[in-house]
Amino acid sequence: MKNIAFSINGKNISTLPGTSILEAAIKNGFRIPTLCSHADLAPYGACRICLVEDENTGRLMASCVTPVAPDMKINTDSPRVTANRKNIVRLMIAEHPESCIVCNKGNRCELRMIAAQLGVAETRLYRMPNYKPFETMNPFITRDLSKCILCGKCIRADHELVGVGAIDYSDRGFASRPVTLHEKPLEQSRCTFCGTCVSMCPTGALSTQNTIFTGTPEMEKTTICGFCGAGCSLSMGVSGNRVVEVNPSPDTGTVNGATLCVRGHFAHDFLLSPDRLIHPMIRRTDEQGMEALQPAGFDDALSSAAGHLADIKRRYGPESIGFIGSAKCTNEENYLFQKIARVIFGTNNITSLGSTGSQALLRKAAERTMGDCRVSPLSDLENAEAIVTVLTDPDHTVPVAGYHIKRAVKKGAQLVVIDPHRSDLAAFGGFWLHPENSGSSKAFAFNAVNAITAHLIADDAMDHDFVKSRIEDPLGWMDAMADTDPEALAGKAQVSPQKIKTAALLLQNKKIAFVIAADLLETRHGKETLDAAINLALITGSIGTKNAGIFIPSIENNTAGALDMGCAPDLLPGGRSIADPQDRQAVEDMWGAKIPETEGKDIHGLIEAAEVGTLKALYIMGENPLRALPDPERVRTALKNLDFIVVQDIIKNQTAELAHVVLPAGAFAEKQGSFTNMEGRIQSFTAVVPPPGEALPDWTILAMLARKTGYPEQYTTIEKIRQEIRRVVPMYGALGSHRQVWIKPADSRNSGKIPLAPIDDLKVDDTDEKYPLSAHIMNRRWHLGSGTRTSRSARISASGNIGEVEMAPGDAKAMGLTDGNGNKPMIRIFSPFGGIERSVAVNRAVPEGSVFIPQGFSGNDAMHLVDFNALKPPGSGWRIVPVRIEKI
Amino acid sequence: MDPTQFDREKLDEIIKNYQDKKWGLIPLLQDVQEVFGFIPPESIEPIADALQMYPSQVQGVITFYSGFSLKPKGRCVLKVCRGTACHVKGSRSILRMIKKDLKLEEGETSPDYQFTLETVACLGACFLAPTMMVNRDYFGKLNPTKVTSVLGEYRKESKEA
Ligand code: SF4
Ligand code: SF4
Ligand code: SF4
Ligand code: FES
Ligand code: FES
Repeated sequence: MKNIAFSINGKNISTLPGTSILEAAIKNGFRIPTLCSHADLAPYGACRICLVEDENTGRLMASCVTPVAPDMKINTDSPRVTANRKNIVRLMIAEHPESCIVCNKGNRCELRMIAAQLGVAETRLYRMPNYKPFETMNPFITRDLSKCILCGKCIRADHELVGVGAIDYSDRGFASRPVTLHEKPLEQSRCTFCGTCVSMCPTGALSTQNTIFTGTPEMEKTTICGFCGAGCSLSMGVSGNRVVEVNPSPDTGTVNGATLCVRGHFAHDFLLSPDRLIHPMIRRTDEQGMEALQPAGFDDALSSAAGHLADIKRRYGPESIGFIGSAKCTNEENYLFQKIARVIFGTNNITSLGSTGSQALLRKAAERTMGDCRVSPLSDLENAEAIVTVLTDPDHTVPVAGYHIKRAVKKGAQLVVIDPHRSDLAAFGGFWLHPENSGSSKAFAFNAVNAITAHLIADDAMDHDFVKSRIEDPLGWMDAMADTDPEALAGKAQVSPQKIKTAALLLQNKKIAFVIAADLLETRHGKETLDAAINLALITGSIGTKNAGIFIPSIENNTAGALDMGCAPDLLPGGRSIADPQDRQAVEDMWGAKIPETEGKDIHGLIEAAEVGTLKALYIMGENPLRALPDPERVRTALKNLDFIVVQDIIKNQTAELAHVVLPAGAFAEKQGSFTNMEGRIQSFTAVVPPPGEALPDWTILAMLARKTGYPEQYTTIEKIRQEIRRVVPMYGALGSHRQVWIKPADSRNSGKIPLAPIDDLKVDDTDEKYPLSAHIMNRRWHLGSGTRTSRSARISASGNIGEVEMAPGDAKAMGLTDGNGNKPMIRIFSPFGGIERSVAVNRAVPEGSVFIPQGFSGNDAMHLVDFNALKPPGSGWRIVPVRIEKI
Repeated sequence: MDPTQFDREKLDEIIKNYQDKKWGLIPLLQDVQEVFGFIPPESIEPIADALQMYPSQVQGVITFYSGFSLKPKGRCVLKVCRGTACHVKGSRSILRMIKKDLKLEEGETSPDYQFTLETVACLGACFLAPTMMVNRDYFGKLNPTKVTSVLGEYRKESKEA
């Protein structure tokens, strides 16, 4: 295509056809005021403030929607342009209410800024304020639509970027405004409170609801969201060392662009929780002989920790100490933590709570694809031609990944949703595969995926080049597969063969992006289902190619980093294996220290060892096992059996109450470090605010502890730790060089051919008549994981989301749990291991025979339903529990 | 048909003809309005679902066009013209009279769903001013006697029905 030559303000410009005048102007350094245009939204042309004049014709046109044309002579600031812009602003202001003067947006209101630039003060027009009801009932978003200038940005963000569709224009002319369905308040609509529209709104029509008056932030600083594995870039507004507002960062090339989710946008108020730990504490006996945690200085607390741990090591050996690191802490902190465990205390007993979930899945997937799933940019997912989601609802776990899928569908990607539950994605133009008979098929996903695979093989629709060049012994496997009948597999999945056929046809000859539930391995048959999905990925050649591959929306923000840093009982930094003498030797050489030869204990092993008394001490950084692990009572008894517990955390929690030494730490926004997100993007950040009280960043505390034990290396700066990581973990060679870099896994093509996993028939468990329903303990967007942090968010607590158990309408009716008035009766839920009470809500998306129990609510009581032994490797899928329900 | 009872089966029958045809929204809404006399708010979500649109978008379209109504209307819908020509010819008193007679304000529907009173900006029949429409019939050169007789006719019809 030939470039188009024209001029702006006398400057000759040549640019691609189709470029808007506005884009060309920005690229060439000219500023044009805008109110309704946004780089991430389709051009719209609602506000007309971006007028420019073509001096050849004298035409005035909205530059954001007018493409450049040959020989245009654009003037962005002619007297006519200015006069017209002024008039537009005058009209807008005449419609604006008096409350403009005390508006929350204050000096950041784009309308006011433009008015000031144009020198519009008095409008000298008949004022016609457009009063609309003011809405503040929900704790997240205030809507004062009297300040709405109908730029449509909120609606377009809601439709185009996050794909929710909660709002749209209603009516015409003066009466029109963005409303929800039936003009209900936001909390009664499908709004997810992602807040994307709030950040976009140019005026004070949409703003963040604050419980306390905070005023305009004094400054804005960027950081990375500390919740889920998307790793969104945030811009935090700070006022007096407090984070008072969060918006998506304006930087380009971020994971999230202009979007966020409810947690990232609104739940960071947990940083201000009165429950924050603000000084170190030591358990002491007072005069009355009562044991209690008492405030202490850092030096004393660290001496106590170092002294007791050294003593226990001397008396009982290194294996008597365990370390629990955290996928919520930074790479630098996890690196230091595992090094302290291994080198100073001589044990491989180092793990994290995520190690049985997302992290285990990432490991398995990486093993099977030879690391080819480690770099998986979400932009690739958005540009995929086909997407298969396996038992995942990213709208709740990693919403930003969900937005990418929805945008891919809008761009024409073929989406196949494999999920018994009719998630939003299934309703969003996906081809939905689910068990068709009531009573869900127990190995549904496994059989459904295999049925598609078998179909593609039967139709000879594989990627033959890939199969030949990259797969080990494909013929043997295919021979075995040839005996499997797609129809029989469809039958086992309880899906009609016709639907499987359709799915196979939709996917045929496409490179597929698989989005796999991060908690897949925590469900029954998770491993087999993963293997089945990777087989399908392999035979379609979807591995190691652009816009396809394996995507794992991990629940915690640094799942990948904690793994890469060696926060695992059997892995050293960089994925080196403890069991491999060469690997061990390599790290020993770099560290100049011995590493114990035996693998350490995983979380299940540590708790069991505490029970039998072989484990004497635990050092827990950034985790709350008493809330997060199954069977909390058993965990409590085990922890009480220990001689010594150190808890290093940001917030008071059940586990800290049992500790002997408590070390207060800084949350992610309060420190420097880096996280590795689900894509394999390593994002470095610096502190936005200092930690509260005497709290210190985790890495500083760890460095101080190392010094206390007499360790010679001084980790005085983050850069010192990074230097070491870059050396020890080659994948992280670029760490810290830029704010965003990518991990560099070894090229899988050099590591030989990939085997396909055998497909065996799965034995499904019989339903226990006493527990006829199958409960799925699952994530709901309001809480992340066990909810230690999100439950401290005043906004989340005030939102009225209490985590009702969700049931299919038929089941609820059969049990007499619906009265037709939308009441939510209380029920008791019993599993073979325990019982809890919740209220129950009817949800059409839930399949009959299942109930959903949201995790993280009510002190994460759902864990009372789960047997701790479900964590015992290989893990029997603790998230799925047989239950029975009683009405109260 | 009782406008307070929403007949989902009837709606599904209409929707069936438009499944997955996004362009079919307006004709679909017209069919719904034809059958139900208005667009029952309960129908928005099923319609959106079938056309793979957001329910809020469907509502946006319904509320944009004055031809669509989310409220049940009476058996007889009166549209009294309040355009310039009719105004000059005294449409204000015509309207006042109708309001009094039907005991309805503009935009209201009688509790027995017999009459709905609306005003419009111009019926395009200015040469007959002042004008009004009842359902699909035009009435021009209105005066108090004519209005009374027209209303009487429709009232009679409704009694018979
Ligand atoms: S609420 Fe804000 S973003 Fe939405 S249309 Fe109005 S001014 Fe624009
Ligand atoms: S908060 Fe998010 S989901 Fe809700 S209306 Fe705004 S953009 Fe849509
Ligand atoms: S999607 Fe995840 S990383 Fe992004 S704002 Fe939400 S919780 Fe934070
Ligand atoms: S910015 Fe161009 S019309 Fe609004
Ligand atoms: S003004 Fe009444 S018909 Fe035109």
